[in-house]
Parts: sequence; structure tokens; C-alpha cells
Amino acid sequence: MEILSPVWSSAKDGPVAKRRLRGLAGATVAIVDDNLDIPFTTRLEVLLAERAGATVKRLVKPSGTAPSPPALLEEAARADVAVVGIGL
Amino acid sequence: MNLVSERLNIDEYEEAVELFFARGWTDGLPVVLPTPRQVEALIAHVERDPQESLGPVPPKGGAATVEKLAINAVMGGCRPEHFPVVLAAMEALLDPAHNLNGVSQTTHMCVSLVIVNGPIARALNFNSRDGVFGNGYRANAAVGRAVRLALWNLGGATPGDTDKATLSHPGEYAFCIAEEEEDNPWTPLHVDRGCPVGSDAVTVFACEGPHSVFCYGTPEEMLHVLTDSMCSLGNNNMHVLGQMLVTLNPLNAEEFAKRGWTKGDVRQYLWEHARRSIGDVRACGVVHEQFRKMERDAGRYPLRYDLANPTTRVPVTRDPEDIHIVVAGGRSYFAAVLPGWGGFGGYAVTRQIRRPGGR
Repeated sequence: MEILSPVWSSAKDGPVAKRRLRGLAGATVAIVDDNLDIPFTTRLEVLLAERAGATVKRLVKPSGTAPSPPALLEEAARADVAVVGIGL
Repeated sequence: MNLVSERLNIDEYEEAVELFFARGWTDGLPVVLPTPRQVEALIAHVERDPQESLGPVPPKGGAATVEKLAINAVMGGCRPEHFPVVLAAMEALLDPAHNLNGVSQTTHMCVSLVIVNGPIARALNFNSRDGVFGNGYRANAAVGRAVRLALWNLGGATPGDTDKATLSHPGEYAFCIAEEEEDNPWTPLHVDRGCPVGSDAVTVFACEGPHSVFCYGTPEEMLHVLTDSMCSLGNNNMHVLGQMLVTLNPLNAEEFAKRGWTKGDVRQYLWEHARRSIGDVRACGVVHEQFRKMERDAGRYPLRYDLANPTTRVPVTRDPEDIHIVVAGGRSYFAAVLPGWGGFGGYAVTRQIRRPGGR
């Protein structure tokens, strides 16, 4: 008998990974802010700037439990490095 | 018909059944084998392009094409006439307002319930009466299974991996009811939510399983027990608001209506009285407190409640409209409360069911 596959065919080739940085000093770091624990994220932003010498771009998601809007992801991808999730 | 899915030729029936388990193409229950003839029958019934996509299904983003949904609907036991209900349910689930990505991956036990309204529910013999959340009816089971299999095979949320629900509930196999519209003094849910009278619609809402409420008597007595059942300290709503579903049986609704209570009156009363003091809520611990603070910092918990005063009484939803009331079940002593995910999503979304041929 003939049957049909119920699953989708995922893309075989993913995006090319960026080269890993040697340090954060002078780097642009994007923080994708889950908009959940705001004091925690603010503290992270300060530490990255003060201790690591990074330039921080904080990109706030409308909802912490929904996917990031494409425009936000594209902006994060332009940074040297991005923090894309914080576990609570 | 132009179907693009991979085709497999299997010699033996038993081998084909086992193949679905071996490849992870079913969530644990055996399935109806999706032959091209059956799949084509479903697609032909809805008169839609097989390659039309309703969108990517989170979390992994498989495209919900009409073809893939038809394959999963056949696997769930659907006949062609059930398929328009499945498509409407998937459209509702994929609306960003429902936040299926979060519902599918949260540690909470919520599952998206499918509620069917309109003449199609009676025509297809969906159960809206005795045993409404239970077994015994093909339409509820097949549409419920079709939706869950589509989320499994296209969304790819698997327990302990991408689906982080620590307990979940049995509705994750099938969770579909119809509202009782004939033995019901009020307007049905989908009309309340903006659909035309006489239309067919599906509403999805992510919630816990039904909690029994021993609910019988005068409106005041029924409201007394309903409000108490709604504001249990264990549900997310009590801490971070969101939405909640209350299922009244037809006898409950009739008793309310006989005494002049509209559905809106009942909803308003429930919202005003299903409350706990913030001192009581805070006694649950610091983690609950932290989540409430996060919601407040982010502007999702109203400032009108003075949370520093332990006697402040807080509601289970942000607004009365966030309490959904559905009439279903047997004429009896029992109603049900189904708390939601809280303020994180899973919110109710309604979509009209497209009748084939635009009828």
C-alpha cells in the first residue's frame, strides 16, 4: 500500500555561523530582552558594559514567551555577539 | 491532485502501523494510515490548494500546508466533512494572539482546547452534552486528534525536549468539545466573540483540564461555589492573571436565565468575586511573588491593585471579558472551571469555519 509522510522536509543547510570572538571589549553585544525579569536583564546590561567593556544593544521582545519579531532578530544578528535567551 | 509529500510503499498493514511509531510520526497512539486517496478526498472537500500554507507551526516551524494538515487529519480519524473544522482550528492556533510557541513549550500543563460552535457541530454530531470532555464521539475525537498530530508532526514539540511541560494533561492526545447551543438560553461563544449568528466557528483556548465544580441551586449558591473554585491558589491566574474558562451545564444556565441573569451578569459577578487577598496570595512563596513582580514591572499587571496592602483583593483575570463562559455537559449538578496559562498567553482566538463552496 502507498502512504504519505505527515512531516515537513526541514531545510538541509542552516546559516553560516559567525566567527567566535576572542573577547567582549569593544564588541557590540545584543541582548534579546525576554521582557520578563527586567531588573535581572538591566543588571546584565550594566555588567556587560562596565566589566567587559562591551557596547550593549538591548532589544526588548513584546512578550517573553512568544518568538522574537523578525526585525528584532535581524537587528540582533548585526551585532558581534547576541544573548538570545535567559533561563529563569 | 498535486501532492508533494514523500510516498512510501509498504507491503503489510502491520508494518505500516509500526512504521509510524518507528519514525516518531505519532504521539503514542496508533493512527489511520494516510493513503493518497483518503488525503485527496479531504483536500477536494475543502476546495483549497494543497500547497497553501497556514503558516509555520512552532516551535520547529514546519509549514502547515493544506496537504500536510489533511494527512494528519486522516491519521486522526477525520472524514472529509471534519476537515474544515481542523483548518479553522489550525488558523486559530497559529494566530500570534494565542502564542502557540509558548503554549507548546511552557513548563505549565496547559493544552489548547478546541471549542466548536454553529450548526456544523450538530450536523457532524460533535458532543456538547453528557460527557462532553470525555470519549464516545468520533467528531470530537477525530478533530482533537487531527490537531494534536498536526502540532506533533509539523511543530515538533516533544516531551522533555522542546515541550517542557512537567506534567501536561490527557488533553494533549485530544481536547475538543462543542458548545451546547439548543439547550442554552444565551448567545453562543462565537457570537459573543463577533461571529455572525448561524455561522460555524472554532475557538481555541489553552487551559488546564476541567476541574469539577459541584454547582446546583439558586444563582447566588451557584456563584458562591464557582467563585471559590476559580480562585484556587494553585492556578496561574491567581498570581499572574490571564484568561479562564468556566463551563456551565445547560441546567445551570437555565436557572441563571430564569432569574434574569445574562451571561454578562454572571461574568461580571465572577470577576468581581473570584478573588483572594494579596496576603493570602503572597503566602504561597517568593517564586510566585517574583513572577507577579515581573508581570507588574513589564506593565502586564494593573497598577490599580495596591499589592503592598495585604487586604487588597485581586482577581483571576485582568478584565471580566477574560473569563470565557461556555454552556456544555449534561443537565446536572456539575460545572467546570478550566484555568489558563496566566498572563503568558494561550489566549482565546476564534476563527469562522469556511464552508466548502462558500456556502
